[in-house]
Amino acid sequence: MARRGRDDDDDEVEEEEEYEEEAYGLDDEDEDDYEEEARGAGKASRSRGGSGGGGRGGRKRSREDNFIDDSAIEDDEEDDDHEDGGGRPKKKGGGGVRGFFDEEAQVDEDEEEEDEGEGEDDFINDAGADIPDEDVVRVSRHRSMPMRDEEEDIDEIERQVRERYARSSHIEYGEETAEVEQQALLPSVKDPKLWMVKCAIGHERETAICLMQKFIDRQDLQIKSVVALDHLKNYIYVEAEKEAHVREACKGLRNIYSSAKITLVPIKEMADVLSVESKSVDLSRDAWVRMKLGIYKGDLAKVVDVDNVRQRVTVKLIPRIDLQALSSKLEGREVVKKKAFIPPPRFFNIDEAREMHIRVERRRDKDSGEYFEMIDGLMFKDGFLYKTVSIKSISTQNIQPSFDELEKFRKPGDDMNGDMSSLSTLFSNRKKGHFMKGDAVIVIKGDLKNLEGWVEKVEDETVHIRPKISDLPKTLVFNEKELCKYFKPGDHVKVVSGVQDGATGMVVKVEGHVLIILSDTTKEHIRVFADHVVESSEITTGITRIGDYELHDLVVLDNLSFGVIIRVETEAFQVLKGAPDRPEVVLVKLREIKSKIDRRTSAKDRSNNMISAKDVVRVVEGSCKGKQGPVEHIHKGILFIYDRHHLEHAGFICAKAQSCLLVGGSTAGRHGNGMDTSDPRLGALRSPASILQSPGRLPPRGPHMNYGGRFGGGGHGGRGHDALVGKCIKIKSGPYKGYRGRVKEVTGGLVRVELDSLMKIVTVKRDDIADTPTVATPLREPRYSLGGETPMHPSRTPLHPFQTPMRDPGATPIHDGMRTPMRARAWAPMSPPRDNWEEGNPATWGSSPAYQPGTPPARPFEAPTPGSGWANTPGVSYNDAPTPRESSYGNTPSPYVPSTPVGQPMTPNSASYLPGTPGGQPMTPGNVGMDIMSPIIGGEGEGNWLLPDVLVNVLRAGNDGPGVVREVLADGSCRVAVGSSGNGDIVTVLPNDVEVVRPKKSDKVKIMNGNFRGYNGKLIGIDGSDGIVKLDDTYEVKILDMVILAKLAS
Amino acid sequence: MFFHILVSKLIKDVEGTCSGRHGFVVAITGVEDIGKGLIREGTGYVTFPVKYQCVVFRPFKGEILEAVVTMVNKMGFFAEAGPVQIFVSNHLIPDDMEFQSGDVPNYTTSDGSVKIQKDSEVRLKIIGTRVDATEIFCIGTIKDDFLGVINDPGAAV
Repeated sequence: MARRGRDDDDDEVEEEEEYEEEAYGLDDEDEDDYEEEARGAGKASRSRGGSGGGGRGGRKRSREDNFIDDSAIEDDEEDDDHEDGGGRPKKKGGGGVRGFFDEEAQVDEDEEEEDEGEGEDDFINDAGADIPDEDVVRVSRHRSMPMRDEEEDIDEIERQVRERYARSSHIEYGEETAEVEQQALLPSVKDPKLWMVKCAIGHERETAICLMQKFIDRQDLQIKSVVALDHLKNYIYVEAEKEAHVREACKGLRNIYSSAKITLVPIKEMADVLSVESKSVDLSRDAWVRMKLGIYKGDLAKVVDVDNVRQRVTVKLIPRIDLQALSSKLEGREVVKKKAFIPPPRFFNIDEAREMHIRVERRRDKDSGEYFEMIDGLMFKDGFLYKTVSIKSISTQNIQPSFDELEKFRKPGDDMNGDMSSLSTLFSNRKKGHFMKGDAVIVIKGDLKNLEGWVEKVEDETVHIRPKISDLPKTLVFNEKELCKYFKPGDHVKVVSGVQDGATGMVVKVEGHVLIILSDTTKEHIRVFADHVVESSEITTGITRIGDYELHDLVVLDNLSFGVIIRVETEAFQVLKGAPDRPEVVLVKLREIKSKIDRRTSAKDRSNNMISAKDVVRVVEGSCKGKQGPVEHIHKGILFIYDRHHLEHAGFICAKAQSCLLVGGSTAGRHGNGMDTSDPRLGALRSPASILQSPGRLPPRGPHMNYGGRFGGGGHGGRGHDALVGKCIKIKSGPYKGYRGRVKEVTGGLVRVELDSLMKIVTVKRDDIADTPTVATPLREPRYSLGGETPMHPSRTPLHPFQTPMRDPGATPIHDGMRTPMRARAWAPMSPPRDNWEEGNPATWGSSPAYQPGTPPARPFEAPTPGSGWANTPGVSYNDAPTPRESSYGNTPSPYVPSTPVGQPMTPNSASYLPGTPGGQPMTPGNVGMDIMSPIIGGEGEGNWLLPDVLVNVLRAGNDGPGVVREVLADGSCRVAVGSSGNGDIVTVLPNDVEVVRPKKSDKVKIMNGNFRGYNGKLIGIDGSDGIVKLDDTYEVKILDMVILAKLAS
Repeated sequence: MFFHILVSKLIKDVEGTCSGRHGFVVAITGVEDIGKGLIREGTGYVTFPVKYQCVVFRPFKGEILEAVVTMVNKMGFFAEAGPVQIFVSNHLIPDDMEFQSGDVPNYTTSDGSVKIQKDSEVRLKIIGTRVDATEIFCIGTIKDDFLGVINDPGAAV
C-alpha cells in the first residue's frame, strides 16, 4: 500500500504541476513546501510541511488531509484513523480530465472517507480521548516513542517506510513560493466562476460525488470542479464558466432541485470559500488548553508538543488515574466500569503504583531523550500524565486558567512569571479594550522588556505608551501582547475577570505579573494576574449573591443545619455553620441550600435579657470569649455576631445566646418583663398572682380576686390600648425591638403598629410596646403596675384624669369600632342592660349619678377583657376592672379622688352578685343586656363569646368531654351537644363550664371576637400566640390572637 | 449656656468620626462661629451651622507611623496608630521573619532576636490607604530600612 502510495505521489506531482499552470490556487496565505498541492486543493496547509504525513499515506491521503484542513471539519479524528490504516489506492481518471480530476478526486476521497469512516467513528473517538492506552499506541506508531513489544516490529517497519516516503515527498514539494506568486493565483475575471448551488441537506458530499461521476461519464459537461464543504450544509460549490453549465450539470440530480437557485460567488469571496482560518495555528508549546472529551473533560492541560501534520498534540495533564482499577485491570481481573466515577486529579506517584504491584517501566523517548514512566501504555513524568490527543479534542480558545490550576502545574521553584508562553495564552484571552488611557503598563517582551510606562493611546492591537524613563522618545508603540498591566503595592484595585471577579482590595505585593491583593471584605490575600485587575477606588465584596441567597444571609442547609453565608464564590457559598463550639465553615453549592431564614426571632442571653437582631452583645464564654458586636442573626438560640475586628469568617462569630451578654442590658431588670411579654395569655394567667400580692388594696373584694385577677390581667392589657390607637409608640421588646411607630389598631392582645422606619405595619404584642416619651403613658402603666411595680403607679396617676375623657362615652370614636357603641349603650341609662345593673345595685347608680359619665371609662377597659379569652364573666371583670383604678386613685391624693366612688359603688355591686354564682352569674345580666340590645355587639363584647358550632370541652362534672355548642342562650349559658361530632345529648352548661378547643393548624375555626367575630376560616398557621387565619368568605388572611379562635365542629 | 450645649453636642457628634477628605477628627480645638439657627419644620429641632477648628488625623501614602500591634495572624499583623487600623501583610514583613503560631502568635526572625507579637510597637510605612465613609484602613510595610519593632514587650518581660 505504501508502495502504491509512492507511485501515486509521482503521478501526483505531474498532476500538480499541470494543475499549477492553470493557476487555480485560491489561497494567498501559504508559503509552505506543499504549496502546489495546497493550492490545487484551494487551500493552504502548513501542516503538510516537514512531517511527511502527506507522503506517508499516499497521495490520496494527502488530498484528503488538505481538503479537510480547508474545510476545517471538526471531526478530524477520522483522518488520524485513516492515516493509521494507510492510504487507499487512488482512483485515476483518464488523462484528458486530469486537471479536473484532481479536484474531483479530493471530493471523492472525502466522501468515501466518510462512508468508510462512519462505522469506525465511535471507535475513533474513544481512541482519541477515552482510552488512553490506545492513544499511546498510536503515538508510538507515529513517533519513535517507547512502545509495546508486540507492536514494535510492525510499527517500526511501518514508520521507516513512512519516513522514507515522507522524505521523498518533502524534497519534491520543497520549493518556496513567494507571496507575489500567491497573489497571481487569486481568481480573476478570466477564471471560471464559482457558483453556489443548493442541494438536499446532508447530501452535499453525495451530490459532489454524483457530479464527479457524471463528469466522468459525460465528456460534455463544462463544469470545472465541485466542492462540498463540511461546515456548509445545504450547499455545494460548482466551478464553471457559465451558470448554464452548472444547470446542465445539475440537471437530473436527485439531490439538486431543478428549481434550485444558483448563486454566483463574487470573485473576491472565492478565495474565502475555500480557505479557512486555522484555529490551531497559534497552538504552541507551553500554551494552556482544556480537554474537551473523556474523563479529563474540562481539565487544564499544558501543550508539550504539537504535531500539526497529524493534528495531534501532546499535553501534560494532572492524571485522573484510579490505581485500584488499573491494577486490577493489569492483573486481568474484571474491571467494573463505572461511568459516573471520575477519579480526582492527583499527581501520579510511582511508589504508590509499585505498592499496588503495578509494573512501571521506565523508557526513554527517542525524540526528546526524556525518560517517562510507562504503565499500561500511559506515560508519566514528574507525576504528570503525558497524553497525545487530537487537536480537535482540546479547546484552545478562551482558556482562563485559574490560579489554583496553574499552581498545580507549577514546579517548585518554577517562576510563574518567567513562563512567558503561559502568559501569552492568558493574553490571548484579553477582552477588548483591555488597556485604557492612563493605565500603568510594563513591557514584557522584546528589547524594551521591563520598561514601565503609561498608556497614551490604544489602537486595536497596538498601544502607544509614554515611557517612564525620560530619555526615551515621548511615545512608543507596542503590540498589546507585549504589554502587561503594572501595579504598585498600595494601589487599590478591582478584579475584573477570573475567579475572583468583582473583588476589590489593596495590592500588597507584586510578583511579576501576579499581584497579591488584600481583599477589602475578607481581609484575606488573593492572588490574581495583573492583567485581571483594574485600578479602582470602589469597594466591593465581589459577587454578593447567587440566586436568592445573599452574602450574610442566614440559610438552612440540606441536613437541616444552618449557617450564615460568609462568602460568595462563583458557584458556591461559604457558610459558617451554626455550631457554637467551634467555627465550622462549609462550602455549599446553591442547590444544597434549602432556604433562607428571614424570621426575626429573639433569644435570651445569659441574664435573660432579650436579644434581638442588631443588639450588641459580648461573648462571655467559649472559644470566642471577649468578642463583641451586633447580632446579625438569631436562630434556635444561636447568635451570629458580627465583630468588625474578627478577621476570620468575614467577621462572623457564632455563639450560643446563653454564653453572651447583652451590652447595656441589665442583669435582671427586664427579666420579668420579658416573661410577661412573651405571651399575653401567660400574662393573663399570671396576673391573679399579682393581684393576690396586693390584697391590701382591695380587701372587700377578696373572694373575687381569682376572677378578678384573670380578667383584670387581660383587662389591663386591653385598657388604655384602645386609647393607644394613633399614638406614637416604641416597641420595647420582641423582634421589632427599638422600632418606633404609630398604633393603627388594637386587637385583643395585639397591636398593629405602623413602623416609622420600615414602611410597614407589623403586629406586636401589646406588652411589647412602650409609649414614646412624648405621649403620656399612664394608660399603659397599670399593666406594669401589676405586682411589684405597683409603687410606680401613684406617681403616674395624676395623669390619669387627663386621659379619662378619652375613655368617656363622648370619646368613643377613639375606641375600637364595634366595641365602643356597646359600651356606651350598655351603660346608657335607657339600655336594658343597665337596668339589670340597676336592679342589682340601684344604689350604686343612683348614688353616683355624677360619676356616671365617668364610669364608662372603666368599662371600655373591661370591654376588651374578653379579648384575653377569659371574658366569659364580664360581670366579674367589672368587679375587677376598677381594682387597679381604684387602687391607683386610692393611693393618690389627687383631685380626682372623687372618682373613687365610681369604684366603690361597684364593689357592692359585684359583691351582691357574688353570693349567687361567683363565676357565671355576675356577668349574666351583662350578657343579657347586650344580647337583647344588639346581638352583634353583644357578640363582640365580653360575655357571649361562644358561638354555635364551636367545639368545646365541657368541664362540668359528669359531663366531661367534648361537645359542640348548639345554641347560646340569652343568659350566657349554652346548649351543648355532647360528643365531638355533636351527636350526643344536649346539655345546658354555664359558660364557665366549657372551654373552647384550641384549634390546630389547618383546622376550621370560628373567630370568637374582634372585628371578625362570627366569621369562619381556616387556621393556616400558628405563630406563637398568633394564628394565621384564612377567612372562608373573603379568602383574606388575618393574623389573630389564638385565644379568640375556636375550633369548629367538623 | 446655649453655647455650651451646642459645643458639647458638636463634640459628641463630631469627635472620633472620620471623613474621607479630612480623616479622623481627633479633637475640637475651638469654635469659630455659630450661625443662625434654622428651625426644622414640624419637628421642633433647630439646626445651627457651626464653624470649628479641630485636630484631624489622616494617614498618607508613604508616611512613617508608629503603631501598636493588635493582632497577629498568618497573613500578617494588624496594628493601630490611634484610630487608624493598619495591616502589614506577611509579604511586607522582612523575609527572615517567620510566623510562629501558638498561644501568642508572632513573627520572629530566625535567630529569635526580633519578635513581633501583640502589643509590640512597630514603626511602619503606609503604602496604601483605603478610605471609607467611616473608616480609614491602611496597608503598611516594615520591609524597609529603619522600619520594624521599636519596643518589644516580650523582650521587656
